[in-house]
Amino acid sequence: MFKLFKKDLILFFHDQRSVILTFLLPVILITLFAFAYGSIGAYNGRSEPVKLIVADLDQTKSSKEIIYKIDSLKDISITLSDSIKSKKLVIKGKYAGALIIYKGFQDSLEAGKAMPVELVYDRSREMEIGILQQNLISILMSSSGEIIVKKSIEKYLHDQFPDIDISTLENILKTAIKKNNNTPAIKWTSIVGIKNDTKLGLIQAVAGTAILMLLFSVALVGTSILEEKENGTINRLLYSPLKGSSILYGKMLFAFFISILQLTAMFLFAWLIFRMDLSVNIPALILMIIATAFAVSSMGIFLAAISKTRQQAQNLSTIIILIMSAIGGSMIPLFIMPAILQKIALLSLNYWGIQGFYDIFWRTLPLNAILPKILILMSVGIIMTLASIRLFNKRIMNL
Amino acid sequence: MIQLRSVSKSFGNIEAVKNVSFNIDKGEIFGILGPNGAGKSTIVNILNTLVKPDKGDVIIDGVNIKDDGDTIKLIMGVVPQEIALYEELSAYENLMFWGGLYDIPKSDLKVKVNNNLDIVDLSYRKNDRIKTFSGGMKRRINIACSLLHNPKILVLDEPTVGVDPQNRYHIFELIERLNNEGMTIIYTTHYMEEAERFCDKIAIIDAGRIIAQGTLKELREISDVKDSLTIKLAEYDNEIISRITTTNPLFKLDSTTNTLKVECGNISNDISIIINHVQNAGGVIERIYTQGTILESIYLKLTGKELRD
Repeated sequence: MFKLFKKDLILFFHDQRSVILTFLLPVILITLFAFAYGSIGAYNGRSEPVKLIVADLDQTKSSKEIIYKIDSLKDISITLSDSIKSKKLVIKGKYAGALIIYKGFQDSLEAGKAMPVELVYDRSREMEIGILQQNLISILMSSSGEIIVKKSIEKYLHDQFPDIDISTLENILKTAIKKNNNTPAIKWTSIVGIKNDTKLGLIQAVAGTAILMLLFSVALVGTSILEEKENGTINRLLYSPLKGSSILYGKMLFAFFISILQLTAMFLFAWLIFRMDLSVNIPALILMIIATAFAVSSMGIFLAAISKTRQQAQNLSTIIILIMSAIGGSMIPLFIMPAILQKIALLSLNYWGIQGFYDIFWRTLPLNAILPKILILMSVGIIMTLASIRLFNKRIMNL
Repeated sequence: MIQLRSVSKSFGNIEAVKNVSFNIDKGEIFGILGPNGAGKSTIVNILNTLVKPDKGDVIIDGVNIKDDGDTIKLIMGVVPQEIALYEELSAYENLMFWGGLYDIPKSDLKVKVNNNLDIVDLSYRKNDRIKTFSGGMKRRINIACSLLHNPKILVLDEPTVGVDPQNRYHIFELIERLNNEGMTIIYTTHYMEEAERFCDKIAIIDAGRIIAQGTLKELREISDVKDSLTIKLAEYDNEIISRITTTNPLFKLDSTTNTLKVECGNISNDISIIINHVQNAGGVIERIYTQGTILESIYLKLTGKELRD
């Protein structure tokens, strides 16, 4: 069994395609997904701020105040320009949107009329526009609200107390419009993911991609059994004193080893490049890697055992892996999927693996809370292994 | 050394081997001759304990394969029909791997591997990957892998398929050398000339049955096949042709090719008489050639079919 394992290991490292598929491709995909899912990259660990160009045609105290407030937001960086140039720059794709504050902005605010403000934007940059809308509405509402309230109180006091002196009026206004009064009524507090700095997007990228690529790698190991049957080396192995079961166990050991190696390499890569904190729960991480590797490697061998030819195994593996990864959350994060798909996801290995890694890195759960997922993965591995042994003896060894 | 007694094996409805019996003595080269699908590989797999016969007994070196298959595997080396090597490994790595399956101590195995690479004349390519080898070279490594555990019996299953003449010559030399050292060899082939060249005894197999077996001489007697010569004269002359054929009715004219055909009991004994007869009649011989191999004729006579590649 160990001789076969050693031989497969040498063959693996001789085959550049396998090494690339196992290590380099997942690393590239993890990097891409990590950036795509956000929270990674420059700007102090946050996403890049959205670039907004502003044309202030009003040039009043109120318009300047609004621009100052927008500029102080960390999610938006602004550049000032005139309206025609602003629109041109949006059309050219240099900016996601342009905010044009037309003449009469301050007057409209004071009169409580509709504000002459326009956001022209590039519809294809949906995500950036979303961020802009959210922030601009918030700033404009609070600023306009403050001015309207101030004007209303001022008008009321002048109507009711025509002789009121200016200092008393200002004191009343200061008391009425305190900054604290603008604090939202609901207090927002995150209770998940506060104990570590690892971003959810990064965990999704690493765990999701690693399991997806792991499935492809072990499917290759599985199909190598059929390749050995087709090129006659299985027969030659059986001519030797080696038992048939040793051939299968050798392959399983190799698939398991490669799975552990690949998962470990992926997490080490995430630690090295994206500063993913692996020390959150090391025992749980080791157990999850072992359980995931066992379940996935058993799956790869099982797919080979149910196939008659290498070609059939390759096609079957591709279909099953892609479906399982799509519904299991490897390709699309599970939390953005509809509820029905989230239930179907329970049938996939990817789900249990990814959720286990979420438990460790995002939910920072203790080992005993993660154990059920580990046990499910181990159980799937055991069932697949037993089925593979039975099928292997029946189909592959049948000369 | 090897006895097969009334061995039969079926795969589903297909009877691959039907009531096959033969004996092979120690140090003998035993040829199993037959077309593709005749049952040769099934017999090889039965001998190697990979396939269990439905009926009959197989005794190898005094051991019934039903009782002790593991011992059989140790005394037998098999050169499979396929080039069963790992293309991404070097010749040396392949030999080390296949030899390692027999639990040979590593230091001894290294010596054996280097010796076997010398034997097959491929030491100079030992570190090259198998995928860079020619078909013939791969066949030679394929054989070398089966010799590492010093088997008493070597089974070669069609070892020269797709091999160029130079590599074929290497393989022939190797087989003769191993046989001279006392190794018992079972050689399956569908090349008649190979069976004629090596084999002390030959079993002709067709559709799972042995239709004849024995030495070449015995097979010739069984089938009553005579040697056949074709003679082409330098100049076609009706008068000379007539003189040759009328004075000896064994000479017959093949009018389609304008050649003379003559059957004889034994070419080596009769060749000088035949040449003298033609020359005495005034004929000048341009070319003499034999008509195929003896085995080809025997096979044709026994089965009514030609054995093709």
